[in-house]
Amino acid sequence: MNSLNFNIDNGYLEGLVRGFKGGILKQTDYLNLIQCETLEDLKLHLQSTDYGNFLANEASPLQVSVIDDKLKEKLVIEFQHMRNQSVTPLATFLDYITYSYMIDNIVLLITGTLHQRAISELIPKCHPLGSFEQMEALHIASTPAELYNAVLVDTPLASYFIDCISEQDLDELNIEIIRNALYKAYLEDFYKFCQTLGDSTGAYMSDALAFEADRRAFIITINSFGTELPKDDRAKLYPRCGKLFPDGLAALARADDYEQVRAVAEYYSEYRVLFEESSNNPGEKTLEDKFFEYEVMLMKKAFLDQFHFGIFYAYVKLKEQESRNIIWIAECVAQRHRAKIDSYIPIF
Amino acid sequence: MGSLYRSEEMAACQLFLQAEAAYASISELGELGLVQFKDMNPDLNSFQRKFVNEVRRCEEMERKLRFLEKEIARDQIPMPDPKEIPNSPEPREMILLETTFEKLEKEMNEVNVNATTLKKNFLDLTELKHILTNAQTFFDEAEFEIDGSTISMSDRAAVLPPPPPTASPSRTLGPTGNIRFVAGVVLRERIPTFERLLWRSCRGNVFLRQKEIDTPLEDPNTGEEVMKSVFVIFFQGEQLKAKVKKICEGFRATLYQCPETANERREMAAGIQTRIEDLNTVLSQSLDHRHRVLVSIADDMKAWHMKVRKIKAVYHVLNMFNVDVTQKYLIGECWCAERHRSRIETALRTGTERSGSSVPSILNRMETTEHPPTYNCTNKFTKVFQSIVDSYGVAGYREVNPAPFTIVTFPFLFSLMFGDSGHGVLMFMAALAMVVMETKLMQTKSDNEIWNIFFGGRYIILLMGGFSIYAGLMYNDIFSKSFNIFGSGWYPHPQRYSEHTIDHHKDLTLDPTNNSDYRGHPYPFGMDPVWQMSLNKITWLNSFKMKISIIFGVSQMFFGVILSLQNSRYFRNSVNIFCEFLPQMLFLSCIFGYLIVLILYKWIAINATMSACAPSLLIDLINMFLLNYPLEPCSSAEFYDGQKSFQSFLLLLALVCVPWLLIAKPIILKRQHSKKQVQLLNNNDEFEGRKSTEINLDGETQTSKQKDGRKDSHTGHEEEEEFSFGEAFVHQCIHTIEYCLGCISHTASYLRLWALSLAHAELSEVLWNMVFRVALKMSGYTGLIAIFILFTPWAVLTIAILLLMEGLSAFLHTLRLHWVEFQSKFYKGDGYLFDPFRFDKIIEVSADD
Repeated sequence: MNSLNFNIDNGYLEGLVRGFKGGILKQTDYLNLIQCETLEDLKLHLQSTDYGNFLANEASPLQVSVIDDKLKEKLVIEFQHMRNQSVTPLATFLDYITYSYMIDNIVLLITGTLHQRAISELIPKCHPLGSFEQMEALHIASTPAELYNAVLVDTPLASYFIDCISEQDLDELNIEIIRNALYKAYLEDFYKFCQTLGDSTGAYMSDALAFEADRRAFIITINSFGTELPKDDRAKLYPRCGKLFPDGLAALARADDYEQVRAVAEYYSEYRVLFEESSNNPGEKTLEDKFFEYEVMLMKKAFLDQFHFGIFYAYVKLKEQESRNIIWIAECVAQRHRAKIDSYIPIF
Repeated sequence: MGSLYRSEEMAACQLFLQAEAAYASISELGELGLVQFKDMNPDLNSFQRKFVNEVRRCEEMERKLRFLEKEIARDQIPMPDPKEIPNSPEPREMILLETTFEKLEKEMNEVNVNATTLKKNFLDLTELKHILTNAQTFFDEAEFEIDGSTISMSDRAAVLPPPPPTASPSRTLGPTGNIRFVAGVVLRERIPTFERLLWRSCRGNVFLRQKEIDTPLEDPNTGEEVMKSVFVIFFQGEQLKAKVKKICEGFRATLYQCPETANERREMAAGIQTRIEDLNTVLSQSLDHRHRVLVSIADDMKAWHMKVRKIKAVYHVLNMFNVDVTQKYLIGECWCAERHRSRIETALRTGTERSGSSVPSILNRMETTEHPPTYNCTNKFTKVFQSIVDSYGVAGYREVNPAPFTIVTFPFLFSLMFGDSGHGVLMFMAALAMVVMETKLMQTKSDNEIWNIFFGGRYIILLMGGFSIYAGLMYNDIFSKSFNIFGSGWYPHPQRYSEHTIDHHKDLTLDPTNNSDYRGHPYPFGMDPVWQMSLNKITWLNSFKMKISIIFGVSQMFFGVILSLQNSRYFRNSVNIFCEFLPQMLFLSCIFGYLIVLILYKWIAINATMSACAPSLLIDLINMFLLNYPLEPCSSAEFYDGQKSFQSFLLLLALVCVPWLLIAKPIILKRQHSKKQVQLLNNNDEFEGRKSTEINLDGETQTSKQKDGRKDSHTGHEEEEEFSFGEAFVHQCIHTIEYCLGCISHTASYLRLWALSLAHAELSEVLWNMVFRVALKMSGYTGLIAIFILFTPWAVLTIAILLLMEGLSAFLHTLRLHWVEFQSKFYKGDGYLFDPFRFDKIIEVSADD
């Protein structure tokens, strides 16, 4: 794929996604949103943005969950339109984006069944981008092997799942392990796929996916403290396509507490800053927020270049961040808890 | 020239409305549509404004209306447009509407819920019926296979281990004993995955039979038709049963109890049949009810929509008002035309009366430093011309509006390029038809963009057609043929040419120097038809049309420069008159005015006898610049006494104009400025050189704009503005270069009048000769048939290429000539449109949604 022929297949979609990007809420919009007193105010203001009348047909009183659903619906409509218009390799690329949602959905459903929830109750909670045909039959499986053999073998995730079959039962810890193992396999596969595309796509996506991989490695490490996950197993879950690979990951594998993780990050200039500026004190940004901020910065960068697929990935990620922001603000408004309302992450 | 010449005088007014009377007053103003409101609270968010709750209530009503509309559309009941647009409702009516909608929505929801349950029941019964009818075949086949006589595959055999003794007797089936089954219905497209998953997760220990249901079933929730399949799954043991049921649930299959013996099934099927019939009556009754409800409201839907729109619009306007401290008054600011003030006051009075308030609303004229909006009162005829001008740029307040001149010059310049009476007649007739059937066509709103463009431009097309007929008569061009109405001025004199000579010599030339071939008087109107058959027709027409183009083009430019004088005079800007208008005028007349004189001179003074040494105007113009008049060839020699000195004088004059235009204005401005600095006077007229320094990079025209001090006098920030000589000078420099070069390039640009006219004439001639004349040449019945056949392609090509394509191209060129060549001489176009608050526009927009 080179820049010369890019527009033949993907020109329309690139134009489209750049147009969509223009509709992402600006800082001024957020400033207006956080002044809202009620969700109705929020709706009124969103009407004047690119969201238009997406809430117009909802009866009052408005619920945050309704807003959430509608936000998702809008993204899904846009995404599906692009997916339907695309041809390979972009179509494959877009499919890859949906895989991460599929993983989340699978994990959500398994956890739900584990807690004896009815499947019909769980399905609406799944992200519509990651739905697949066999999804609703997931709860028949009681062991990973069964899950693989009966359900997942037909899905694109099958090849990622092979490593997890050895797990004996589905309990909390194992589900988390499965999720992370799936994610690891997914990220590495996606990374490889983007490398085969080469050019700017390869360049931008390797940045984005490397960051994603490193973030996961950090988070897995930090979250594993105080659990019964052995260090060897933990090391197996680190995606090996980030900047931390191989030395950083090896160091992370040995880490015993937060300070050691931080020491690992010291060696990497981009992550050092994130760790330095984050803290758990109220009023300051948490590490998670800093990661999100960094991600937004990375995604915005993708729009600076033309003729590559990175912008599709970036758009979905930015839109996701925007949804998180709106939901955060909406929750704060709905619960009348305005103290932390401005800890959203501005995009533009 | 009436109001079109300059835009309406606007008044900035302050509006005091009593709180109770505010709604009624604004809705009266909305019906009137002559007032543009200013937002007094630009800093407030939309949800922080005073009437946000009312706006929200309107939105809620709209939501309900949309819901009802969707229901009506689902039943395919037509929603007619109301005969007349309803008046804006009183605030009381809003509550009435709200309750009506509330009631309707509730009723509709109830009906829908009932219908959905009924349909759900109906669906269940139908599905069960299908299962029962199909079950027999399934069981027969199953038994046949399970009997073992036909099982060929070994794994099938392995499915059936010997029956365990604890199998429940009620669910046994045939001779094989404890095989159990579930029966159900699932979406047809999910069957393959369903089957595969069953096979995998039960390790092949189940046996699925399925059959497609031929008739589509209605999904009770969405109302869509879906295709489904009946299936029966045979399996063994409790564990498998749980698993199968889970999978069925996962695939949203509906399971039904199905009796095992054929007799029971038959009985059940009969029972279900009667229940289905019962249900059908109930269902049709409830649907009837729903239909009746919807039909009763369908007529009002559009009117309701308009009413709600109007209410919402009024509250939007009220949101722009300020509330005074006592909460009794709403204070707003607005623009309105000076001459409409009395009508507005009347409307306000009506509004006050309607609301029953005793305190009148007050419309108070106020002084403002803001730049007023441009408001040109148009009617259906002038609208299209005004919009042509506006799409280039909206005239500044009270600036000369080129639209009234465009009404004449636009179709005229168009016709010069499109000069063919035949095509003109077709165009005229088409436009006339649109104009005559105007009211009828206007009612049937069309979504067709192309049609709307044509229909919107019907008056301009009418004029273009009319002028083209005239131009065609002047060119004597009708479908590329000429009419010889008055008899040509030239004829082969019978004494000089015998009939035999004429018939056998193709290249005979009439001799213009000899009066014997000339009747003594020219063809009285337009081009002599004799040119149509002459060999040098094109050469002659080119020369004629080029000269015509120059004459009309330069005249239009002169006219534009004179209009700039009108602007300067109106805005009392003497600097512009003496430092811009005068040198510009001189420059243009010295070079191109003189050229026109020469053209006329050549037409009048030079005749055929002098043709060998007739002066070449192009060469002469070049010589004028080179100050060099060679004697050879004789066409470039001087052709009147003192020509050289006179032309040199003109050239000198034109050259003097350049520095005059360049330097005078900045220097005067600087002097005025420093004088003002000394006097510390707050004067208006000084800063104009500073203000509009935006330099358009595409360079063609837009920077050659006339300056006037008007704008600055209205910004009210004179004190802050610094005069910069350098900036003023650079700006004037660009302006000068642009004007001087522009004069030359624009004159050349007007030659497109000739070029397009030539192209059009040639194209139509080619079409005639290559297509239709072929048929005319044939004789007898073949000719008859050929004419019949060839007329169609000729006519179609004439309309498609000559009328539509050529017409469009000529239109665009005319547009360019007006926007660039004409308007650049005087038009600033930096105003903004008056956008009054009008209900009809708001309703139109909503109808488009």
